[in-house]
Amino acid sequence: MSLFALIAQETPQFLPQNIAFGVIAVISVVAALKMVTTSNVVHAALYLVLVLASVAATYILLAAEFVAATQILVYIGAVMVLMLFGVMLTRAQIGAEDDLNHDQRWIGGLVAALLLAVMSYALIDHYGDDRLPETIVPQTTAEVSDEIFSTYIVPFEAISVLLLAALIGAIVVARRD
Amino acid sequence: MLIAQEFVRPIIDWHGVAPELTLLAIGAMVTLVDIIWNEKAQRIIPTLTGLGFLAALLPVLTLWSDRDELPRVMWDGAYVVDEYSLVLKGLFLVSAYVVVLLATNYMHDGDYYEGEFYQLVSASVVGMLVMTSARDLISIFVAIELISIPAYLMAAWRKRDLKSNEAGLKYMLMGVFASALMLYGMSLLYGFAGDTRLAAIAPALRSSESIPLITLAVVFVVVGFGFKVSAVPFHTWAPDTYEGAPTPLTAFLAVASKAAGFVALMSVVIVAFPEQSGVAEPLLWVLAAVTMTVGNLIAMRQTNIVRMLAYSGIAQAGYMIAPLAVFGDVPSSAARAIVIYLVIYAAMNLGAFAVVITAARKTRSGEISSYGGLFQYAPGLAVLMTLFLFSLAGIPPFGGWYAKYQVFLVLVEPATTAGYVLAAIGAVNAVLAAFYYLSIMKQMWFMPEPNGDHTRVQITPSLQAALAITAIVTLVTGVLPGVIPDVGDLVVALP
Repeated sequence: MSLFALIAQETPQFLPQNIAFGVIAVISVVAALKMVTTSNVVHAALYLVLVLASVAATYILLAAEFVAATQILVYIGAVMVLMLFGVMLTRAQIGAEDDLNHDQRWIGGLVAALLLAVMSYALIDHYGDDRLPETIVPQTTAEVSDEIFSTYIVPFEAISVLLLAALIGAIVVARRD
Repeated sequence: MLIAQEFVRPIIDWHGVAPELTLLAIGAMVTLVDIIWNEKAQRIIPTLTGLGFLAALLPVLTLWSDRDELPRVMWDGAYVVDEYSLVLKGLFLVSAYVVVLLATNYMHDGDYYEGEFYQLVSASVVGMLVMTSARDLISIFVAIELISIPAYLMAAWRKRDLKSNEAGLKYMLMGVFASALMLYGMSLLYGFAGDTRLAAIAPALRSSESIPLITLAVVFVVVGFGFKVSAVPFHTWAPDTYEGAPTPLTAFLAVASKAAGFVALMSVVIVAFPEQSGVAEPLLWVLAAVTMTVGNLIAMRQTNIVRMLAYSGIAQAGYMIAPLAVFGDVPSSAARAIVIYLVIYAAMNLGAFAVVITAARKTRSGEISSYGGLFQYAPGLAVLMTLFLFSLAGIPPFGGWYAKYQVFLVLVEPATTAGYVLAAIGAVNAVLAAFYYLSIMKQMWFMPEPNGDHTRVQITPSLQAALAITAIVTLVTGVLPGVIPDVGDLVVALP
């Protein structure tokens, strides 16, 4: 039985979503692996863009439009541009570098593999048989904003203090005196 | 087309959030004063910030006097003002006031950025106040970041010193890593419960059968907090950060920031995991035992007093984790013992840092050997240091003994083997710790001044005030332990 038939048999109404998820998942895993193995800092940053974009695509599949838009605006729009500026404005070498890898990469890989095994086991053990509900109700931006300005008003206000403090602190630490 | 339901304006209990709002206003005022009067304002900003912390204490006191209204539950149980949170708010505000007193001359004489430093301290303390009342995952996470991010920046405040740069960078990298782990654990908890409120997570975990996933979530969350409270083996950042950061900030990290980590740990473990003690207790047991022992063993070998206090703080954190290792049977007494320990630890450790900062004004050194002859040229300072060190070692009648006594009481209360063994480990560690505290005393009382320089130490008024406050609290809590208010029951049912 082909893979498509298998997916279609399980939940026929989600066939396109399932295929799309498969494609996005492969892109994001491959891009993540390339990001840590490439020897070029700028390439690494661009692979990271791909990883973050596929995460945004996953949010859209999950019908979370606001989170997807935020992911694109903040991570791809702001964080990535900042990183590329950082690479350009510091004395980091642009182009391939030989000494980006170091001896601890094997230990790092081992830990990552172990973590993957433990987390997959735990997640499959709990969610393995769960199916998506028949209908997914999209979460609208208006609902998100209602929640932010009622239930989560305290963390929202706290974040505004945090941003101001981070701004002041970053200026002090970064300025030349 | 989906039409969102109409927005309902939340009902806000303004009295309940008054401490946070007061501090927010003070922080904004300090920022404005700094911007408008710039250089001219540098003299009054420390005073203004310090008074601001005391002003924020007023609503805490009025809330305390209005105790019949407690607990004030806001936003469906996401934010709770109860005895527990009020006692801790008081602790954080007073500790922050003492830190400002310690920083006043240090920041001025060192020619560091002053106004901005106090603004960042106030922002961090706002996070601490939010943390004491936060009872949902999002508020706890935001509060912990609001506490930590200004602290990462302040650790690198001595910009011209490479050690300070290292301190800030190490603290930030480890802190961000810990946040990521904690956030992953929180996302698993949210996946379980479909709710971010701690009190709603507990029943969801209870009705679940999947032990592996619960274990994973609990381990990630506890490990994340383990970094924040510098529990072994997640303590590697602490000594370097403590040594490199400006010393008043080190006192702030060692006392207030660590206490905030404990508040988060307590709230989450006691409110959200009450039925998961089988998973959380062994983990916390090992953390407590290893943290005490390793902290003390490494502290013995230190020659720099700030590094020694860092490792001693790690060992003290082990004592504070210990009650959580038996929390399943006695949740309320565990919380009470930890809060008492936090209050007394804050007083004695801030006191020790006050002496270190005062002595460094003359010796310009953090080495323990530079404390030789302190008794000859500054007898008052030597006596105070002895008081704080006795208290840290847990020798009656100073506060520290009562804190340790409470921890031991909680450990033996459930009458389990695990509790008895941990109490025994704690007792052995108390002896180990006394050894290195006494070695500093030997240095102060019996050794000659290394350079033969017997000029007096200048103790500025703000340092005098800091020494007086910490010494009085350390003494009073030891002689009359009843003065520490009771924190009551932590778990508040959902409305």
